[in-house]
Amino acid sequence: MDDIDAMFSDMLQEMDLLTQSLGEEAESAPLPKPPTIPGPQEMNFSVGFTDFNASLHDLEDNDLDALMADLVADISATEEKFATEKDTLKGSAPVAPIPSQPPSNLSFPGSSSTLRQATSSNSIAATPPPPTSKPSKEELEEQIKADKIKLALEKLKEAKVKKLVVKVEIMDGSSKTLMVDERQTVRDVIDNLFEKTHCDCNVDWSVCETNPDLQTERGFEDHENLVEPLSTWTRDTENKVIIKKKKDKYEVFRNPQNFYMWKKDKKSLKDMKEKDKEQLLEENFCGASVIVPDLEGILYLKEDGKKSWKQRYFLLRASGLYYSPKGKTKASRDLVCLVQFDNVNVYYCKEYRIKYKAPTDHCFILKHSQIQKESQYIRYLCCDDEWTMTLWVTGIRIAKYGKQLYDNYKAAVRKAAGSATWASRSIQASSSASTPSPTPKVRAANGHAPQPAVETKGSSNQTSFPPPPASMETLPPPPPDPMLPPPPPAPPSTNKVNQFPPPPQFPQSSFPPPPMDDLPPPPPPPPEDSELPPDFLPPPPPIFSSCGGEALPPPPPDPIASLPPPPALQNFASAGGAPPPPPPPPPPPAPAPAASKPAGSVRKVAPPPPKRTTPQLAAPSGGDLMSELMTAMQKKRTQ
Amino acid sequence: MTSHAICIQTRMAVWDLSVSVEELGPEAPPLKISVTSDLHIGGVILKTVEKSQIKQDWSDHALWWEQKQQWLLKPSWTLDKCGIHADARLCLTPQHKPLQLVMPSSIVLRMRVCFSSPVFRTIMGICKLLNIRRPEELSLLWPVEEKKKKKDKDVGEEVYDITCAPLPSTGTIPKLANGMPAFFAETPETEVVYKILAVSQPAPAPETIAKLYRTTNIMEKAHINSRWLDSSRSLLQQGVKENDKLILRFKYYTFHDIIPQADVVRLTQLYEQSRWAILLEEIECTEEEMMVFAALQYHIGKVSLTEQSVASCPAMEDLDSALQCLEVKMEGESSADDMLETMTAPELHDYLKIFRPKRLTLKGYKQYWFTFKDTTISYYKSKEESSKEPIQQMNLKGCEVAPDVSVAGQKFCIRLLIPGPEGMNEVYLRCEHEQQYSRWMAACRLASKGKTLADSSFSSEVQSIQSFLAMQKTTPRNNTAQTDESINTHSLVSPRYQKKYKPKQLTPRILEAYQNVAQLSLTDAIQKFLQIWQALPDFGLSYIVVRFKGCRKDEVLGIANNRLIRIDLSVGDVVKTWRYNTMRQWNVNWDIKQVAIEFDGNVNIAFSCVTANCKIVHEYIGGYIFMSTRCREQSDTLNEELFHKLTGGHEAL
Repeated sequence: MDDIDAMFSDMLQEMDLLTQSLGEEAESAPLPKPPTIPGPQEMNFSVGFTDFNASLHDLEDNDLDALMADLVADISATEEKFATEKDTLKGSAPVAPIPSQPPSNLSFPGSSSTLRQATSSNSIAATPPPPTSKPSKEELEEQIKADKIKLALEKLKEAKVKKLVVKVEIMDGSSKTLMVDERQTVRDVIDNLFEKTHCDCNVDWSVCETNPDLQTERGFEDHENLVEPLSTWTRDTENKVIIKKKKDKYEVFRNPQNFYMWKKDKKSLKDMKEKDKEQLLEENFCGASVIVPDLEGILYLKEDGKKSWKQRYFLLRASGLYYSPKGKTKASRDLVCLVQFDNVNVYYCKEYRIKYKAPTDHCFILKHSQIQKESQYIRYLCCDDEWTMTLWVTGIRIAKYGKQLYDNYKAAVRKAAGSATWASRSIQASSSASTPSPTPKVRAANGHAPQPAVETKGSSNQTSFPPPPASMETLPPPPPDPMLPPPPPAPPSTNKVNQFPPPPQFPQSSFPPPPMDDLPPPPPPPPEDSELPPDFLPPPPPIFSSCGGEALPPPPPDPIASLPPPPALQNFASAGGAPPPPPPPPPPPAPAPAASKPAGSVRKVAPPPPKRTTPQLAAPSGGDLMSELMTAMQKKRTQ
Repeated sequence: MTSHAICIQTRMAVWDLSVSVEELGPEAPPLKISVTSDLHIGGVILKTVEKSQIKQDWSDHALWWEQKQQWLLKPSWTLDKCGIHADARLCLTPQHKPLQLVMPSSIVLRMRVCFSSPVFRTIMGICKLLNIRRPEELSLLWPVEEKKKKKDKDVGEEVYDITCAPLPSTGTIPKLANGMPAFFAETPETEVVYKILAVSQPAPAPETIAKLYRTTNIMEKAHINSRWLDSSRSLLQQGVKENDKLILRFKYYTFHDIIPQADVVRLTQLYEQSRWAILLEEIECTEEEMMVFAALQYHIGKVSLTEQSVASCPAMEDLDSALQCLEVKMEGESSADDMLETMTAPELHDYLKIFRPKRLTLKGYKQYWFTFKDTTISYYKSKEESSKEPIQQMNLKGCEVAPDVSVAGQKFCIRLLIPGPEGMNEVYLRCEHEQQYSRWMAACRLASKGKTLADSSFSSEVQSIQSFLAMQKTTPRNNTAQTDESINTHSLVSPRYQKKYKPKQLTPRILEAYQNVAQLSLTDAIQKFLQIWQALPDFGLSYIVVRFKGCRKDEVLGIANNRLIRIDLSVGDVVKTWRYNTMRQWNVNWDIKQVAIEFDGNVNIAFSCVTANCKIVHEYIGGYIFMSTRCREQSDTLNEELFHKLTGGHEAL
């Protein structure tokens, strides 16, 4: 039940966001939106673009597709939700069809089992064992009321969750745009990007921020939240988020001896036995307190407000960075603390020889993350060579983050090991969505390997394949097409709706097809999947599982069965306002054909058109990102 | 004739053995008992007891052979086998004798300890009685000979007598009652003793710290290590006499498997040892670190005091529940005003003065109407205008907060360093009085950590600021009973900083460090203290002055839990490091008193020990190797045999 609650709250939160961004749209749509939505302070802006308009232009097709998919999902979720509520509120016929759910499931239909039942119930009668005790109307209503209250409360809570649309640049010049939730860690984001780019999940991948003003770059640590630091960027910032492999990110865990025994000749350390390395890590990271490498040596320090750099003898301690003043010994008592690490981060710098007349180009700075421009509060340091710089920066990171770093590393290794079985693809190859390459293997890397059906997401095209949430992620705009239009072939029975609302709700989920408890385990399940955090609602994997369940249909063979569309259609229909008659419908005609095709060949089925549409739409109407997307949607719908 | 017959019968001559019995008094002549060489030790004791005609429990007594300085502990061995002849002077004496034991917290306990078993086992007994787990980490050492000061000091020192405790029988697990070993729960007096052991001591007067012996250089530190007792021999063998004073210390700096609930005494004593190590500068730290240590000491002292009063309720089973009590109590104590404030309005507003130091401008403080909401301060021209746009808003999330306070001067300023894109913005807020200050300060501190006024820790934060301010009010000369309110900041730092700073200067610095620890529970605070201590670069190094083979000058060998280091005495630099995991073997040549160690890659070193006995070095190295074997076997039973094998030296084999 808790799970369901969690899922539910997440759903609601999605909806809220949507409603807020929808503006008028949302209002016209009779959303079950509590009047008391709190803070106007929760924001939804994009980072990495100077303004929304520009950002829209900047977006690459596939980005837009992805975003669009997110939005469509939100909308459909909202609409469906509304439909659900409306229907249930009316108290209309609880003529529960075969797999009647326990009442509690009515409004949170998220669990994968439910979904699966739903899907299968289309074709088969009664797979599911769930108790058939039909709740009385009163009970139902009461339950609904309670749920509504809960919903309102949850919404209040969730409304505060901050989200950002972040454009992440990839080294080949392409980029990915994704929505990042305040609660998501950098690790979650990296995993998402792995999903989107089919890359090799190497532990060295690192999400970095660059600051052109200061010419700095810092790799975020995996446990950090991404939204927080990004929110402190200024409005007109040129800062970027990039993802790249940084060898130094976890080098200390691969070769601890180079850091902890740095005084020794590096060559002699080269052949250190794995066992000894492990012991070093054990000693330094697994004790009561983390031991910081005993770095010391001469570094250049830029003098406050001056252009000159002064040599000082620096020592690294767990408590901070110290130097020994002229004429004093290295004894602890005489050390002067340059900076403690609680409030500052360490950044690599580029080309400081030119910018600040540094003795070498191997510089790093320590600053409060909020400082974005040159300032007397920044500490500028310069090392003789690159290795020294790596040594110090890593040492400072260890002092600052301690054991957390090691935990991050272990998690990353697990992740990488999981994906290692899958063909490693260069990020470039997979990043461009238009590449028609996706071989089954790629899809596997994507986490969707098992999918027999079309739903390989990741690229844009399965237009013809409408609602499967999975595909939505990447190919957003087109799907609505089939979705909205003709009053559903099979108007959903009200309780039917109740049972299936979720599928369309969370299309984003398509990336993280994680814990499908009762789904037949996909043949080669990429282990990382289970760890994959959902795109932007980290806590409740179950939701995804539900969608995932839908997306990756359990038994591949039957295309129809595997097709989740019906619910979506119904929901849309009902959202449209037509309270349709109940008969639990067979799969709607529209998707069916699509489904059959995909079963055979995936990509070819539905190619390019969708991609073009959105950008075109976006460009002309000069509103903000959201409203443009919305207009795009509307157009689609009215088609 | 008959005697002859007996002689033939036994084929041995009867001779007189002189055995002195301690119970008869020191002046009494030794008893002469007639024995034959095949009489076993048990028989000797029996005869002696009969002859002494004293009726008492003799079960703890054993024979001590004075000339050979050894115990005769095998009752079935014959005199012949032991090599005892008529010239031997034996002494029948109890194996357990009272000893004055200086605990790491510098509390002196008088307790009966075993004088006959190897020190290693004696310590196991002591630790069992005191409920300290992992006794192998501790050992005994001789105190430093105190000089003239001794006279005036000895008088005041209190000794807690627990000689009435039952002798610990090794092997049994002590029963617990009220969270302490059953013995301590028996009488109120012993219960007090346990509390003293389990709760950290109040801060000592600064004068006490200054008076105590301090090591000033590495040579002196090395000399301390010459005083360790030999773990493989008994106390009596090492010349310890009844009622002597010995120091109990953690010797091996590798603290295995600390469980806060089960290790109350162990943690407390460990904390005390580390605290004194820092106060007495046995281990060096930087000024910043000293301030954190001071803040933690202050906090631990404060929380312990509160806990002590709570602890009187017998239902308290462990520290955790005590802490819960504490939390409840603290909440209850916070003044009703504060509570109301926090309950009704998670918002502060007041007229305050603000000052923004800027280059080349010397504007003073200006008064505005301030509101504090969530993590943001806004200010307006006046209260009436507070519905309009504020003049400025400052989000304090991630900012640095420092006090700028002088109680005497009635100056209550908060210095804020607020990070912005351009750098840090420096802002001073001036409050009118202490109450106002403590509330705004608490709010600023919470906000800097991203917490709002509604956070539950607000009222306790306000309280701790107030109590810290109270420290400034008291005169530093006051070194009578240290209560919560009158702690002198000088008693929290080492003499070096006592000299360097006045208490007035120290307070704000400690307060600054304090804000990061103020919310820790007692156990967490103690563990934090230990963590920072263990992260110091010189942590866990025991020094011995040695002379390496082929060298002409003395150098220092540092022994740590994972490595040996060689330190140049003149400069104090580490010249070389050898790690144990590359060590192949080590040998001690007891005749020439030289330790030889072979490392991987044909690295051989050899040195003779200058300040300490070879055995001490040997025991240190072997001991650490022993400690490193513990992790693998998770069982609680101590592998005594292995310890002695690793540390024992030639006598043990």
